[in-house]
Amino acid sequence: MVARSLKCRGDLHGRPGCEMWATLVVARIRDREGNRDGCSAGGGKTMTYPLGWPVVTQSLMQRERWPGDYNSRGVPLVRPGQEVQADQAVMLLEKPDIAEAATGFPHAVSPSASYAGLSPSSEGAQIDCRYMQETVLAGMRGQVVDITHRGGVIIETRAAVIQGVIGAGNQVAGVLTVWNAGSSFPLPGNRPAEAGAILVIPGPLNYATLRQATGAGIVGVVASSISSRDLEDFLRANVIALINSNDVERAQAHLPSITLLFTEGLGTIAMPARTINLLRRYHGSIALLSGATSIRRSIFPELVISLAAREVQHNWRPVQPDPTLTIGSRVRICSGSHEGVTGEINYFFTHQQTFESDIRGRAAHLSLEDGSSLVIALAIIERIG
Amino acid sequence: MYTETYLEGGQSPASSKAPASASSILVADCGTVLTKVSLLGLVEGQYRLMARGEAPTTTAAPYQDITKGIIQAINEIEFITGRHFVSNGSLISPEQPTGDGADLFVATVSAGGPMRLIVLGAVTLKLEELAAQAVSGLYAETYALPAPSYLATSMPAPLPVGAGAMASAGGGMQGRWTPERLDMEWERQLARVRELQPHAALIVGQADGAAGPTPLQEACQMIVNTVEELSNGSAPTTRGNAGKRQLPVLYAGAPQYVEAVRRMLDGYAEVTRVETLVSQEQLGPTSMAATALYERDVIQRIPGYDHVRSWSGAAPIATPSSLSSLVRFLAQHYAMNVTAVDVGGTTTTVMMAGEHGEFIPLVNTGIGMGPSLGAILEKAGPRRVARWLPFRITDDELRQHVLNRMLHPQTIPTSLRDLQIGQAFAREAIVLTVEAAKQQHFNEFDADLILATGGVLAHAPKFGQAALILLDALQPRGVTSMVLDRTMLISQLGAVATVAPIAAVQVNENDAVMHRLGTCVIPYGELPPGQVAIRVGVEYSNGRQVTAEVMSGSIEIIPLHINEQALLTLYPAPTVDVGLGQGERARAAEEVDGGLVGLIIDARGRPLVFPTDETERYARLLQWMQVIGA
Repeated sequence: MVARSLKCRGDLHGRPGCEMWATLVVARIRDREGNRDGCSAGGGKTMTYPLGWPVVTQSLMQRERWPGDYNSRGVPLVRPGQEVQADQAVMLLEKPDIAEAATGFPHAVSPSASYAGLSPSSEGAQIDCRYMQETVLAGMRGQVVDITHRGGVIIETRAAVIQGVIGAGNQVAGVLTVWNAGSSFPLPGNRPAEAGAILVIPGPLNYATLRQATGAGIVGVVASSISSRDLEDFLRANVIALINSNDVERAQAHLPSITLLFTEGLGTIAMPARTINLLRRYHGSIALLSGATSIRRSIFPELVISLAAREVQHNWRPVQPDPTLTIGSRVRICSGSHEGVTGEINYFFTHQQTFESDIRGRAAHLSLEDGSSLVIALAIIERIG
Repeated sequence: MYTETYLEGGQSPASSKAPASASSILVADCGTVLTKVSLLGLVEGQYRLMARGEAPTTTAAPYQDITKGIIQAINEIEFITGRHFVSNGSLISPEQPTGDGADLFVATVSAGGPMRLIVLGAVTLKLEELAAQAVSGLYAETYALPAPSYLATSMPAPLPVGAGAMASAGGGMQGRWTPERLDMEWERQLARVRELQPHAALIVGQADGAAGPTPLQEACQMIVNTVEELSNGSAPTTRGNAGKRQLPVLYAGAPQYVEAVRRMLDGYAEVTRVETLVSQEQLGPTSMAATALYERDVIQRIPGYDHVRSWSGAAPIATPSSLSSLVRFLAQHYAMNVTAVDVGGTTTTVMMAGEHGEFIPLVNTGIGMGPSLGAILEKAGPRRVARWLPFRITDDELRQHVLNRMLHPQTIPTSLRDLQIGQAFAREAIVLTVEAAKQQHFNEFDADLILATGGVLAHAPKFGQAALILLDALQPRGVTSMVLDRTMLISQLGAVATVAPIAAVQVNENDAVMHRLGTCVIPYGELPPGQVAIRVGVEYSNGRQVTAEVMSGSIEIIPLHINEQALLTLYPAPTVDVGLGQGERARAAEEVDGGLVGLIIDARGRPLVFPTDETERYARLLQWMQVIGA
């Protein structure tokens, strides 16, 4: 207890002139103590890992279910050792109701304030004078292994994981819903997914589509890419500052409620067939999406899709991603005019090669998916499988 | 400005008493983005660079082990030399009769990010500046959070103080201090601490102000809250308080309260007392204590540190510490002013060392060509970056370039456009760093030698590109010479000198500074527009004589190749200076050296002014690039 320990320690020397200030400080610390359970140092590093490859079809992992921020506090509904289902409520999240505190009048919980939208959140929502309470679904199937100080629930799960290059937004759980290219999006009265869905758009995204998705009450979007201008316009945020932030939770706090993940990054890059196929395979499954991106803290967006019990029982072959480039590795070009193109390494040059910029560097010969080939700098390729 | 003089026979790398008995040395530099390893070996009795390897740094997931990147870089050396240096994940040492292994391993580290140091207490503007100066030679960032009671008593009508102390307080903060306003300030500072997640704290300030010792008390309370914040949050409850880490605290405040501060922070902080920081006289002790903290709380916490440590008799040291050793040694040994420039992935360093022991280190953390590229755009703005480009570029394209580079910092520019954009950012990284030095009231001095290193400079495909970047960004005056360290070794030689001083000196002379770009003559003052700014007489060693007239606003290259020397005579225009006063003719007493670019006469003027018309600017830039071979 901070305040108590400080009071025991007393002032520096107890001069009367310091009394007022000392009292003020202790009062402030008392306030902090009252909210302490809801505060954190913005951790998460230990819970959010960049993977060796962008797509890992089977992996055993632990993730903290924590969709809140500094001012939130979690009340776990489960205990360590307990098995949970992806659509099971695991926590009550209490968030300060700033608007209510300001006006003094109670108000209804908006649909967008509900994280999952899969649970009877409207019924479950309780309003008291200071906190808005939300029920949080696990989003993952697995076993609870621990509870964090702030009330987050750590779940161990066997899952397929897609890691994005950039994203934004808090952790959300939703039904994975692949948008079909043949249909226009979104059709009035014919929403591609119900509220609480994580919409998968296999191609590049733009501002207009994002705005429509927000209107449709979708909790998250997974797409291949977006222009930096469209992303900044939608987020109304400086993306450079956002991804350079050390305090991930604070950086996410003022973003739109929809969570985003871009598998290929910025620009107009298509989604690789392998990623689309994986997402299609799990269409209709409940997934956990996190958009937070911090290059300072090596946090990248990811989509975790827990495997069904049957798949785990009969087909469990966990993948250990190895990013080392070797002959036969599947790689993706991550910079330059061929950005987004994938291929397979079939040769490493012994000597450095010269590129258009006149820069020299180690290089590999790639066989591309369309049958053509390319000499490419090792510095601009990353292994994807 | 520091004045630290090497004592002959003392700390100088060249004068260490340790004999050089190693016949092979592996030197690793673990940067934020890339890890570079060099193999030094004896060739005909002289230490030479034998091979280099480079690999991405592996401190982050999925590897989370710095040794993986080192080993991958060593693998490249194994591929080149056919020798083996690693077996079962460990270094083979000493060197075997087969030629495998190395006798010594030395490492410098800049991975791990900067140390974030919060400055607490009665933080005056002067103390804030002193704190920044004390860590200016480290990978460290200072953030001043003056105690609310100090703010309230020192400025009745709140005004911005310190590093954005009240910046986020908003317009509602104007007026008198009230308890509510103090609460708001306290909360704001707590939020800032939460955002910063500091590695350490520095408590400064006396207790003789209107607030008495209360600022010190508030500083302690801020630290207690910080520790509580850092210990809770996403940490699993089953770990209990076992993981609670005490915050390292440097106490440079009122001496009579040091014990009271220790009592208040008992269980929350490890308090190290340093001399009370009042003026520049006390910078040394604070700087040394901060360096020790950096090495203990940043470097030693890098994943895999213990493994690397086990490979070497000497602990890995911070890259700037190593660079500063070499720069100061060179300045003193050759009795000249030396400026070193290192443009890295997350940090840009400019160090100036004078022949009389003057030393200005400026490690600009958060300004670099990789993950920190965004900070250059934010601080300099798109117009300043684009002014160096001979083509039209939109703000959107610049932002997209920056974001892609931040997300993929290990990539290299394979197109000419990308290369030129990157080099434009490099110029601004250096400009921002020099500006930061000026803000700290460091008085820069004219360099006799400019030593450049770092990926963007070392990997520049043409020597003229590197030369032009340095001339544009540093804007030196008078007569100087430029050397490019393409091996990216100079930052490590200070560390090498601690275990093998002879090797450090020989490799420096034989390899690290072998890419001599050339001697530069830079007239300044009022250059007459459209007229000759300077006439240069060149008398080559073979007796051949050449005279060149250089127009104002232009660059000229006079052929003077590497290993060639010449005597110069400079005839500036009446309003133009070359270091001896306006219009004063100068004749070099000694021959100047040639270089890979040649003898550079930069008569573009100081400061550099660009044509306002875009088309004209493009033409001028292209002309300069063409002349210098960029």
